Amino acid sequence: MAARERAVAICRPEITELKIADFLMQARGTSLLALLVLLLCFLVIAPTQASAPMVQRSDELARQVHLISSDTAGGKWARLAHFGEGAPIEASLLQDESPATAPGGSLLAFFQRMGDSSWSTGLHESRYAYDLIESVHVWALCLFFGLAVMFDFRLLNRTMRSVPVSEVARRLLPWTVVGFVVMVISGTLLFSAIPLRSYQNIFFRTKMIMLLLAGLNVWIFHSGVYRRVASWDVNTVPPRAARVAGTLSLVLWVCIVLSGRMIAYNWFDCDRQPQRPIVNFLTSCVPTASEH
Amino acid sequence: MSLLALFQWCEQSGIGDTIRRSSWLFPVIEAVHLLGLGLIGGAVLVVDLRLLDLGLRRYSVARLARDAQPWLIGSLGLMIATGGLLFMSEAIKCYYHGAFWFKMASLFLAIVFTFTIQRKVIMADGVGVSPRWSKVVALVSVALWSGVGIGGRWIGFS
Repeated sequence: MAARERAVAICRPEITELKIADFLMQARGTSLLALLVLLLCFLVIAPTQASAPMVQRSDELARQVHLISSDTAGGKWARLAHFGEGAPIEASLLQDESPATAPGGSLLAFFQRMGDSSWSTGLHESRYAYDLIESVHVWALCLFFGLAVMFDFRLLNRTMRSVPVSEVARRLLPWTVVGFVVMVISGTLLFSAIPLRSYQNIFFRTKMIMLLLAGLNVWIFHSGVYRRVASWDVNTVPPRAARVAGTLSLVLWVCIVLSGRMIAYNWFDCDRQPQRPIVNFLTSCVPTASEH
Repeated sequence: MSLLALFQWCEQSGIGDTIRRSSWLFPVIEAVHLLGLGLIGGAVLVVDLRLLDLGLRRYSVARLARDAQPWLIGSLGLMIATGGLLFMSEAIKCYYHGAFWFKMASLFLAIVFTFTIQRKVIMADGVGVSPRWSKVVALVSVALWSGVGIGGRWIGFS
């Protein structure tokens, strides 16, 4: 009891700071999330049909080899070495059809133009820049995801039980904001190197939707139960709404990391036809006749 | 048995072969590996930020470390298990990849450092440890673990 009172006394004065930082973390979501996760699982588990030849614009190849790590034919990991042998020849055969005719064409056209810019091609063809940015992205993931998860675990009474929740929030959440900003900047740079392919990538789309839901969760948490934090600050078990927020946050961020990692794989890419109609629908992909 | 022979044996093992044959096993294991990295990041940073006087300042380092310990050990176990599987599927590539050896060296140093020098500083809980020394220890810890993460990422780059 004495420890409790001390903890309260210690952190009362500064409880209200850190509005923006708090805003970027935690809270509660919707049943949409469950549907999305199920959909993601289905897409991952569902077997893809026999792969069409790799068709890419040749200037994208240098970068794509990093991204394409599986080819269904032999299950062999396609690395730079493998690609050097066959793929460029195939790549030279391709027809440069404009995807601008697809649904949502204006965005597609926009990202295609972005991909054709010298900035974008320079970045994805650079020897080290892309890899370095990706390393920064992974490093910031530890900062952001790691500390966000520790905060969620506190809400779920899994760690730092004797530290008041507001103390954990005030000391750790600013670091998650730093991590988040670095992630957004490095992620935007990575996107700008391969905009069209990323935009049409099913995992990228899943990730973006889940990011929105995670943001919503943060907003609901901080405008709801966290406003009353003073009344439950030192409870080892926070109120139900806070635990729900912590759980949803955990699930969402884990799924965001997983789908982010999966963007690198091309199982459902537009240039790998035939795909299930649902996949082409979800990726705004309109395969040309020659791709069937 | 030479090291290369050992690596060859790993590569040719049933586990390595199964992972290579599957188009989704490697990505899935790799994704779990990445989650483990994030978890380690959290467990390490909570303690290191405290040592740097930037995190939960009012809270005892020793208690904080005790709270974070299960997560550190758990995620380290997860990392080693998934990392081992990934390694089995491409051991030869790792053998000839500088980033792999850099990562292993960092990992070895990080583990040794965390469970010897850093642990001693943490257990002292500020008694007889200068604040500057605490900060140096935290920075070394962050640097070593960063080396592990970034070295790991570079194994994937050709």
